[in-house]
Amino acid sequence: MADGVDFEGLVTCHYQPLYQFAFSLTRDEADACDLTQQTFCIWAAKGHQLRDETKVKTWLFTTLHREFLGARRKQVRFPHVELEQAAAELPVVSPTPLHQLDNAQVLAALAHLDEIYRAPVALFYLQDYSYLEIAGILEVPIGTVKSRLARGLDRLHQLLTGGSAIGSSAPQTDL
Amino acid sequence: MNHNEAKDILLLYRPGTADVADPQIAEALALAQRDAELARWFGEHCARQEVLRAKLRQIPVPAGLKEQIVSEQAARRKDFDWRRLPALAAVAAAVVVAFVLITPWLQSLKSDNTLAVYQNRMVGTALRTYVMDLATNNSGSIRAYLGQNHAPADYVLPAPLEKVAVTGCAIESWQGMKVSMICFSTGKPLAPGEQGDLWLFVVDRAAVKNTPSAGPPQLARVNQLMTAVWTQGDKLYLLGTLGNEQTLRRYL
Repeated sequence: MADGVDFEGLVTCHYQPLYQFAFSLTRDEADACDLTQQTFCIWAAKGHQLRDETKVKTWLFTTLHREFLGARRKQVRFPHVELEQAAAELPVVSPTPLHQLDNAQVLAALAHLDEIYRAPVALFYLQDYSYLEIAGILEVPIGTVKSRLARGLDRLHQLLTGGSAIGSSAPQTDL
Repeated sequence: MNHNEAKDILLLYRPGTADVADPQIAEALALAQRDAELARWFGEHCARQEVLRAKLRQIPVPAGLKEQIVSEQAARRKDFDWRRLPALAAVAAAVVVAFVLITPWLQSLKSDNTLAVYQNRMVGTALRTYVMDLATNNSGSIRAYLGQNHAPADYVLPAPLEKVAVTGCAIESWQGMKVSMICFSTGKPLAPGEQGDLWLFVVDRAAVKNTPSAGPPQLARVNQLMTAVWTQGDKLYLLGTLGNEQTLRRYL
């Protein structure tokens, strides 16, 4: 049971990466704060049900992602934008080397990824989670995670550099 | 594994992580060491990964977010006010204990419908400052009132008692049954506030256990009253007065 977890200590350990994950999903500070706070509220109410304390971090990320999807379903505040339609809004492209991009441009590119790619890519970079852990957090099969990551990373690269795909042939469908 | 397959696999490789333990990635990394073109691409890829990871980890976290989360949670806890939990638990426990204690007492009250208890209860009523539901010197009005209120009204008075002046009546309760209380004045001066000095209680005989069988009245002192109890028909009669046995016998 995770009853013994100190709430403030838990917040101290995890609120920053959770917020960054939330922000990478929503690209809105207020929404990201709300998601982060809501996640800890849910922990306060239901966290005692978690039997394995080592899974607290994964539990928090899973909960935040669920909340994001739930809010997304209700509000439709983040309209789906196809890559082609977003071309005009894309950040500075190929002439700028990756290392010269600022993080706002990286976030803008991330925000232009389809939602199904955005979460695994954010977890991939932010937390160094394994594919298995990402699969657990997003509650999808590990094959789907790999597929989405491959496409998401490929598209992210295209958005940031205006270049071609970085893989040999990015998968076109979820596994 | 060929060149392109290795690229696809290494696309998901993050330097410095446990990814290197993945057998497929390990195989692709081995191939990259032998394939110059793949090694060049892999080097660029690792640099990209580092840049992207660093950029995303620079997402600034709003100042005060942690404090906001902690304080809001504290406020939510305060709304419930866990400090009151012991008090609430104590109240709940007291209610349970009271219920446990009172239930047998109530049951005993219900089952304790013996004549002795009835006598005590009615005598107590007479001795307290009671309020007559109807104050009248008309015995007919008393019967009518009692009848209208579904209290025993078809009682039969001993001949001597018929001659005593009534002052009124009240309806009492006994084990859910109505008891007719008829008040009389024997003619002696009454103390201030008193509305009679002789009282007759009539109740359905079935409402009291251990009632005497038909026969002469049984006299007994109960509290400060001298009482006489008898049954007639389906009624139980209890007559009481402040006087002694001789006084009471005058009205039987």
